[in-house]
Amino acid sequence: MWANNLRIIAVVLGTLALYTLIANKIPQVQSEVPHALTLGANVTPEQLTAAGDQLYHGAGGCTACHGLGTRAPNLLTDEKGLGPIGARCGKRESGKDCKAYLYESLTNPRAYVVAGYEPIMPEMGRILSPQQIWALVAFLESNGGTVDVTASDIPAANAAPAAGESGAPGAATAPRIAAGSTDPMTIIRGAGCTGCHKVGSEGGAIGPNLTHVGSRLSASLIRECILKPDTRVSKGYEKFVGVMPKMFGNQLTGAQLEALVQFLASRK
Amino acid sequence: MADGMMVFQAVADTAGAYRDFPLIGSRAAIWIAAEIHLMFAAFVLGVPIFAVVAEGIGIFGKDQRYDRLSKEFTRLLLIAYSATALWGATFTFLLATLYPKFFAYLLSIFAPSVWVYGAIFFFESFTLYLYYYGWDRWKYGRAKIVHWCLGILLNVWGTIVMFIADSWLTYMMTPPRDITPETSPTSIKLWHAILNHTWMPINIHRLIGNIVFGGAIVGAYASYRFLAARTEEERAHYDWMGYVGNFIAMSALIVLPFAGYWLGREIYQYDQSMGITMMGGFMSWLWVIQAFLIAVLFLAGNYYLWVGMGRIPGAERFRPYTKWLLVVLVLGALVWGTPHTMIADSRELAAMGGSHHPLLGALGVMSAKNTAVNLMILSTFLSFLLYRRANIRQVVPWAKTGTRIQAGMFVIAAAIVLFFGIRGYFVEAIVRIGYSVYQVGAVLACIIFVTVIDVLMARGAQSLGAIQWGRMPPRSQYALFILAVTFTWLMGLMGFARSGIRQHWHVWQIMQDMTPYAATPALGYAAIMISTCVLIFLSLVGFIFWLGGLAEKSTFVPSTVEAPHVGQ
Repeated sequence: MWANNLRIIAVVLGTLALYTLIANKIPQVQSEVPHALTLGANVTPEQLTAAGDQLYHGAGGCTACHGLGTRAPNLLTDEKGLGPIGARCGKRESGKDCKAYLYESLTNPRAYVVAGYEPIMPEMGRILSPQQIWALVAFLESNGGTVDVTASDIPAANAAPAAGESGAPGAATAPRIAAGSTDPMTIIRGAGCTGCHKVGSEGGAIGPNLTHVGSRLSASLIRECILKPDTRVSKGYEKFVGVMPKMFGNQLTGAQLEALVQFLASRK
Repeated sequence: MADGMMVFQAVADTAGAYRDFPLIGSRAAIWIAAEIHLMFAAFVLGVPIFAVVAEGIGIFGKDQRYDRLSKEFTRLLLIAYSATALWGATFTFLLATLYPKFFAYLLSIFAPSVWVYGAIFFFESFTLYLYYYGWDRWKYGRAKIVHWCLGILLNVWGTIVMFIADSWLTYMMTPPRDITPETSPTSIKLWHAILNHTWMPINIHRLIGNIVFGGAIVGAYASYRFLAARTEEERAHYDWMGYVGNFIAMSALIVLPFAGYWLGREIYQYDQSMGITMMGGFMSWLWVIQAFLIAVLFLAGNYYLWVGMGRIPGAERFRPYTKWLLVVLVLGALVWGTPHTMIADSRELAAMGGSHHPLLGALGVMSAKNTAVNLMILSTFLSFLLYRRANIRQVVPWAKTGTRIQAGMFVIAAAIVLFFGIRGYFVEAIVRIGYSVYQVGAVLACIIFVTVIDVLMARGAQSLGAIQWGRMPPRSQYALFILAVTFTWLMGLMGFARSGIRQHWHVWQIMQDMTPYAATPALGYAAIMISTCVLIFLSLVGFIFWLGGLAEKSTFVPSTVEAPHVGQ
């Protein structure tokens, strides 16, 4: 009887020990919490780059996709003969320098989906603080390019996003869309709408076609969709819920928003 | 809105938002309480399903052994319910005292469901008392059917309780997208919060998982009693019980990956980055461990069947096939466990010669893994089929044709699995994902049609001799223990995966964990926690089994009919 019990205990403990041992022998990767960055007014490019390096390889989670060559473009190494990201970022969008391109790619990644890849990147503004995002921009620029992020780009607030603050951390300091222009097509291009939506002959097919959106939605519904994108989901686009950024209420001026709404409502 | 802002202001101000637990810390305390509560919950939800099915077989198959088997387990449920409630209360008290603001946030959304949960748990407990204590009173005729219906009602209550609790944890993982950090929790509609992306996939996954778990625990109990048996009759009874437990666990296990696939797809649809964190981010190594555990389950389950064929007259004619089944299972397990997309540093990438291993990289992709797991499922099903047919000779005139059709179905299913597995290397990812549906469809169709043909072919079959229940070597019983430990450990591992993909968020991208324990630990630490929980749980289950033995002597009843295989 006791011999049986001891054998049973040995089998149970042996099995548990085996699984625990194997799990401890494989590479140990912990998911880090993005730590708050405190960057003073005299922060140097080297400090920014070092902070961005840590985020890129740690809490930012960038290496889960970038660098594997299948899910997302390589950033630190060559991508299709164009060099690392610092060397190619300034040439990606005409009229947009490397810094602006990288910032927008991080905060609104659907705006510039590289051909051949799926729009899977999360909005980093939901996860990281503005300080952390600027540090990442500096680090990416340093890979093949020149770091031109300065303290003036970085907002004074220096806490990591706490609960309740993570919705749009870049809101207060985000570059003004289209330099405040109220020309609807300039706003549409500047806000990156055509990254997903088709308007006339421009744009992609990830989101609903806006060419004749006025025939489907009233001005008030269009306004609602811009400010709270997921409250209404167009049929056939259910799987893209959550993709459209929720930051336009903070980034557009009142005049820009109204100009955009009236323009879209008139497209019947 | 003002209420919501006040709550979030309070959360942002971490002072007073958390308390720590002595020695082990608040995360470990919550982890242990929640995990052991969940294990007991799976036990008290899985075993009633097992019990009601067994009672039904006893009633409609007129075999008293199933009725007694069912009663024996319902008796253990009485004690297990108390343990479930105790650990549930411990978990709730710890959550309320260690994470008070987060607990208050959840309650402000889910309070009405908590009241319903309590009420239904009350109904469930009293239905269980009626079910158990009414067993001998409502034993015959219509009263027995009413008693059986009480068992079904018990399962209905249990399922509702589980669905309610699932809504809380799935809200933490996948809160509806229109809810933001600024949304006042009091303004969130209860039903809207419940109907989140992963609620129903988790419900279904847990329902099937509980059946697997219940079967495995029944198998372990039976093997313990088998090894301790003093008479041949007792040994025969617990040998049979162990077989039934293993049959149920393995049958439900075959379906479980499909529910897991649905859950994974919903996670990806909700948030790609969450899916990537789970499959290719810091959790990528977890799936290698999972593959190892599932390989152990398949191998131990099949081993038990192959050893069991030694007690079946006529089974020797199938013995030569087992070595080939073993080859398929081992190769399948090796492919399934091959890593593919791993987080690696520059030194590791350089050593590997790229982001993927030049040789093994090709075996680590989903095309190869889906092919491997489907062939493993087919092999396990073939083991069951051989076991079923071991001691009979079919006498229907179309027996040979039927067997050829069955063999053809296996070949066609395997060919479809291989065809789409190979073709998957030459198409885009989005097309490749769709191929898994054809592979799974082929395997399921094969299982269903072959079983139907086999049941029809077995009509009036000539017996080659009764199964010699009890004539099992002790080593086979240790395989059942390994199965139970592995199922329990796997449950802990998958719980870690499900909870861990939230990373440093209490509620994904809405409420951040601000404690010193916010970082999600690596697998090594998680494995120590899981093993600790499994050890505590199994020790308590062992104690419950011992108490059950004290309360009543074995309920062994000699069979009144020749022992059939399950399903015959």
